[in-house]
Amino acid sequence: MKKIYSIPLIRGIVWQVVGLLVGIGIVVGIRAAMGLQATGPFLVTEHAWVFGGFLGTLTFLVGHGVMGDWFKWWRGEITSDHHEDKPGWEKYFGPSLDHKVIGIQYTVTALIVMIVGGTFALIFRTELAFEGMQFLKPAQYNTLMSMHGIVMIVVILLGIGGMMNYLVPLLVGAHDMAFPRLNSFAFWIVVPAAVWLLSSMALGGIETGWTGYPPLSANMNLVGQQTFFLAVFIVGWSSVLGGLNLIATVVRMRAKGMTAFRMPIFVWASIATSLIALTATQLIGLSFQMVMFQRLFGMGFFDPVKGGNPVLFQHLFWFYSHPAVYVFILPGLGIVSELLPVFARKPLFGYKWIAMSSLGIALVGFLVWAHHMFTSGMNEYLRVPFMYSTLLVAVPTGVKFFSWTATIWKGKIDTPVPTPMLFTVGAVFVFLLGGLTGPPNATVSTDLHLHDTYWIVGHFHDTMFGGFMFPFFAALYYWFPKATGRRMNETLGKIHFWLMTPSFFVMTLGMMYIGLNGMRRRIADYDPAMGFQPTHFVLTIAGFLIALSVLVFFINLITSLRNGEVAKGNVWNSRSPEWQVESPMPAHNYEHPFEVVGEPYDYGLAGSKYVEFAKHK
Amino acid sequence: MSHTQDKASALKQGVLIGVYLAVLTALEYFIAISFMSVTVLTLVAVVKAALVAYYFMHIYKLNEEHEGGHDSFEYKTGTNRLGLWLFLLSDSFVFGGLLVSRFNLLGLERPHLNQLLGLAVTAVLLLSSFFMNRAETSMAHGDTKGFLNGILITILLGTGFLLGVVGVEWRLAAAEGLTASKNVVGGIFYMMTGMHAFHVLTGVIFLGLVYRNGRNGYFTKEQHWGVEAAAVYWHFVDLVWIFFYPALYLIGTLS
Repeated sequence: MKKIYSIPLIRGIVWQVVGLLVGIGIVVGIRAAMGLQATGPFLVTEHAWVFGGFLGTLTFLVGHGVMGDWFKWWRGEITSDHHEDKPGWEKYFGPSLDHKVIGIQYTVTALIVMIVGGTFALIFRTELAFEGMQFLKPAQYNTLMSMHGIVMIVVILLGIGGMMNYLVPLLVGAHDMAFPRLNSFAFWIVVPAAVWLLSSMALGGIETGWTGYPPLSANMNLVGQQTFFLAVFIVGWSSVLGGLNLIATVVRMRAKGMTAFRMPIFVWASIATSLIALTATQLIGLSFQMVMFQRLFGMGFFDPVKGGNPVLFQHLFWFYSHPAVYVFILPGLGIVSELLPVFARKPLFGYKWIAMSSLGIALVGFLVWAHHMFTSGMNEYLRVPFMYSTLLVAVPTGVKFFSWTATIWKGKIDTPVPTPMLFTVGAVFVFLLGGLTGPPNATVSTDLHLHDTYWIVGHFHDTMFGGFMFPFFAALYYWFPKATGRRMNETLGKIHFWLMTPSFFVMTLGMMYIGLNGMRRRIADYDPAMGFQPTHFVLTIAGFLIALSVLVFFINLITSLRNGEVAKGNVWNSRSPEWQVESPMPAHNYEHPFEVVGEPYDYGLAGSKYVEFAKHK
Repeated sequence: MSHTQDKASALKQGVLIGVYLAVLTALEYFIAISFMSVTVLTLVAVVKAALVAYYFMHIYKLNEEHEGGHDSFEYKTGTNRLGLWLFLLSDSFVFGGLLVSRFNLLGLERPHLNQLLGLAVTAVLLLSSFFMNRAETSMAHGDTKGFLNGILITILLGTGFLLGVVGVEWRLAAAEGLTASKNVVGGIFYMMTGMHAFHVLTGVIFLGLVYRNGRNGYFTKEQHWGVEAAAVYWHFVDLVWIFFYPALYLIGTLS
């Protein structure tokens, strides 16, 4: 028992529960003393749940120990810069300062939470296979659908956190992130948030979709709605602090000779992503906080009766939540640009244009949010400028596609094609479909028809799979040997790819097909006369096939971890510095610092060199 | 550059900037009661913010080159400084969002508040920034006693500001019927002042820690990043109020 309690994660969760109970106790006590109602449909009022949730988050962090060094600083003590991790698996449950450990913590958490979010999708997808309600109640359907959305968003944020934390310090030649303690904090704050998010299902659920628009979200008498807002607010802090850390790392800790235009593309993409995460995230935090306060204290921000304006919520919300999709996809697109030259054995076409296109997408992305609101009743004169700014995003994205095609053109690709390359090319195709289905939504005249249909759902899943899922899998197959010292099984990897890709195309094209015919999104049932049922049945089968392929991936991951072929040397014959040293990566990264002496992607050019390591002493 | 200044001229500069800020605040008040122009008020606020950002927060230090290696104290302080400024950039989006909400929901109306009290708390916060600057300058010149006194006065003024806004202004507003749940005017007023007061509170706690560690001799003339961080954060809280004060008290007609 004592041994289990000594694991920081377990200790944190025990403290979290204690914090929750204490918080609830305080509020109930105060309300009872003031003669206000203290009990509610979910045992106590939501004031108690929210305060308990907030306090529980703090007690988790204190109990877990991730803030230990900060407390010492506040007391005026000096701590050492590095903490050595104990060998073994325990370090993954504690506040390690090593960016590689934190990167793996992010990635593994993302994969575990992905199972949860995927299972939600399978449940309501099964319900949709036939018309009429079979085994779910509409409220349960709403909750599962909303949870699938927000849980998968958390998965993506964790996934890109994993990739950026693990890779960026290695790629720029730093021994760690700029602020290792903040890095650890940014990861561990997600854990209590995930607990609140999932607990909202037991507290009445969320019935508003992940967007949580008032007035519905403000009026639903469910505590789950509040824990959902609280959880997203806390996850937002992880995003902000992670972005801050990454920018500081890249600006301050690059290796000698790594000028801006000699940085790997993934680093450029991470910078663009982090700029959005750092700034815009605050506005989803603020908008959710305002709804929380509207529910708790009756502040009428979005309540027209009190002079509020529900459309204001949508502006604040989408000011983050549209750029957020670029947060989700830019690192993935960076991975594509990173891996294509390695496997095509050719220089990356148009390096500078690719580097700038990530920043371009991020900056234009700040000016397009209201394209989600063409039908919301905002001022009509706003529609046209937002339509044009949205269509402008296609330009930097097109630059990327042009570069990818030109990079593959006449490349010398190994046969059989290695699994990471399969997923990279898959990402290009899937993202192309997602990209091409975008402009019809951006154009006001067509969007009025497409808005809130399954067409949007199909488009969105294409961009998320092409921009995140496929590149994420590519990165996992590609850097798995670097992280673990073993290679993943190629056959299982190919089964994973060839099972997932066709099923995925069937699923999203089917979604778009019924969407064009008038299938509304976010609804639990549909009219049999519309003739959607056969397509819905096919979509459900495709969904289960995707789940099966991911199961193959997990089997591959676990078996390769134990029995995979030992990775020797430069597995993919890459020019990147992290592959020039042994795998798995040593604890403090590079024993001898390297200097950048050439261009990063000059594959196939005789005598070219990217990095040079300092001579052995 | 201020770090090469001798102590007397650094102090003189602090006084001068403090006087400029006070004059501009008085000017704002005069504009508001005479010919209320949103453009002019915004311009004055921007000028005040620029003065604070440059002379009190030393934003130009972000550009400093550091000679030592990546592990030297100077280089790490530079990294810390960048991190802090990135955090402030992020935080300013919260306050920006609140300002947008205020103008979206209330337009050119303002809540009925006690003007004299508003001017008083603004002056108190401004004065606290002045003493914070004195504290930091003293530390940079190795004057621990001046530093401790400066911090202590800043803490007292910060607490005074909190009492003025939360203890008095909130009470007065509620007594006049402006409660958080009455209408959106109340909602915006309590949200904006509450969010700002929360930052002042964290700043006071931060200063308290710096004071305690400073008394124990934790900071030196060369190495006092904690003092600089507390100062920059404190001035940022003041900078936010430079925009919140006209938005809540001066701009628009009474609702």
